[in-house]
Parts: sequence; structure tokens; C-alpha cells
Amino acid sequence: MASSMCAAALSPSSAAAILSLPNRGLTLALLHRKARPFSFSVDRSSTSPAPLLSAPPLVSPSTLFSRKWKLSAAPEESPEEPEEPSVPEPVEAQIAAAATAKGEDVFAVVMIGSRQYIVFPGRFIYTQRLKGANVDDKIILNKVLLVGTRTKTYIGQPVVTNAAVHAVVEEQGLDKKVIVFKFKKKKNYRRTIGHRQPRTRIRITGITGYEDFPFETLPEMVPA
Amino acid sequence: MNKDKIFKLAKGFRGRAKNCIRIARERVEKALQYSYRDRRNKKRDMRSLWIERINAGARLHGVNYGNFMHGLMKENIHLNRKVLSELSMHEPYSFKALVDISRKSFPGNKVPKKEGLSTIL
Repeated sequence: MASSMCAAALSPSSAAAILSLPNRGLTLALLHRKARPFSFSVDRSSTSPAPLLSAPPLVSPSTLFSRKWKLSAAPEESPEEPEEPSVPEPVEAQIAAAATAKGEDVFAVVMIGSRQYIVFPGRFIYTQRLKGANVDDKIILNKVLLVGTRTKTYIGQPVVTNAAVHAVVEEQGLDKKVIVFKFKKKKNYRRTIGHRQPRTRIRITGITGYEDFPFETLPEMVPA
Repeated sequence: MNKDKIFKLAKGFRGRAKNCIRIARERVEKALQYSYRDRRNKKRDMRSLWIERINAGARLHGVNYGNFMHGLMKENIHLNRKVLSELSMHEPYSFKALVDISRKSFPGNKVPKKEGLSTIL
């Protein structure tokens, strides 16, 4: 699935990034987020620190680069204060910092090119090539089927009216090469074709316009 | 394809199939045929996986998959099975809201009567 590959995407500009990570707990929180691209920032059913701490301690390159994207995409956010190494922050504060630093606890289900994606502000997704969209174009996606916040869910029938997902086109590129090999046995028929599907990477900047829609209030989350 | 390309595609194959060109060529051709076929099968497999997950998630709330999807169609909710399965895994409260909407629109499953101690709970 195209969107599941987003965590491993690297752009040429970030390939040479050297990063110093202020604290390891935040990295683990980001790893947890990036390791499962469809998982949401804070699980509604249980916010236990256990899954975060069980993430592997090795920092993968994709996490480093995704962290760099966060810094370059949102320069107005204040950088983290340097923590004293002797006093580790409580895990809940680290989770909260990671959750609020990237996306404001909203998600939406948006339909692009007859495919549906679960979308968070601050993350990117790969879609089919959007014709006529150039790099750094601002895009508004209108087909929003569901918007969810921490306490409310806006379920569209079929669409949440007046809701809009704002995004920026980052890259118009090609997917990884796939070899299409056609073969008929005993007839000496072999055809090899290489295929790269054109795709667009868009970064979601915000989700707006859903507040007036009728919503379902969700029960309070009880942290485990 | 020349030999280098064959050996590059034959990485991880068992035994002589990764090192000897005659055997590697056969195995690589087979592998490419399988990948052609399985690119089509993957779409089917993923859809049945999503359906399994939606079924499991909805049965936790007392509704089976058929009645759940029927209720969603009646309510004109066009979320697809991929998104529904993700919601059932990671957004349980939103999924419960969807199940309630579906049950209200199409009450095919009776909520099982609780007996004995569970009536108090």
C-alpha cells in the first residue's frame, strides 16, 4: 500500500542530515509513531507507557530524517529546552510533548483519487500523481469522510460538510521500480517490462472546518 | 536480463539458486511470475484481512459484519474496509460510535440478554 511506505521515504536534501537528538525518550516516542504509520499518536483505549518503552533502542535513519522534516516544516515551534541529564522527565510528559509537537490530536479520513487515507497534520502521504500540481502548491482536500479528535468524532454522511484538509505538495516523483514479467511455459515467450508508477507526496498541514458538524461524543479515555 | 541482474534478484534464494546461473535463472523467472500473480492476489488478501478485522471489532459490540456493513450503507457512510479496519484497531471509541449508528439504522442483531450476576454489572 502506497501510504504504508511513507515512513521509509527519503528526499535528497535530507540524506546528508546529521542530527543530535536532545533526549532519548522523545526519540522512542517518535520511533513508536513512525514505526507504525497507521497508529495514532495517543491510543484512546489505553495510554500506557509500556509500548513506548518496548520500542527498539536503535535509531533508524527514517526516524532521524522524519525528525528533520518536523523541524524544517514547522520552524515557528520553539525548540526543546535542554534537559538536565540527571533528572529524566516523566514518561507521560514526554508522550504529551511528542503528541502536541506533531499534530494536534486530530485526524481525518480523506478521499483522494478514489482511495481513502487516514491523515494527521504534520505527516505526509503518497497519493496517485496529481496532474497540474507543482511542488510547494497549497492544496485543499474536500472529500473528508470522518474527522476525529480526542473527545469527539464527526462521522460524515457521506462527507463532513465544510471540512477541509490543507496540504502542501512536496514532491512529484516515481514509485519504486516493479518488474512485470510475462511468461508462457514451453512456448518460448518471455517479456520483461519495468514500471514506475508516478506518485505525489503531500504533507498535511491542517484540518479545519469540521466544528459545526454534528458529532458523537466519545467516552473519556482512561489511561491504563 | 544479464547475469548480474539475475544474481541481484536471486539474493536470499536457497542453495545453488543464488550462486549458479542456470539454476538462478529458473528460480528468478519463477519468482517474477509469482510476483506478477501476487500483485493481483495481494489486493484480494488485504480485503479479506480487513473484513476479518472489521468482523472481530464489530462482534465485540454485538453486531456481525454483514449487519454492520448493511447499516453503514443505509446511513450513507462511505468509509472503505481499509479505513474501517484501522479504526477498529486503533480508534475503538470512534468504531463503537460507527457500530451504534449502524445498529440504530439496521437492528439485525439482538443484544444478548444478560442473566444472573451480569445484569447487575
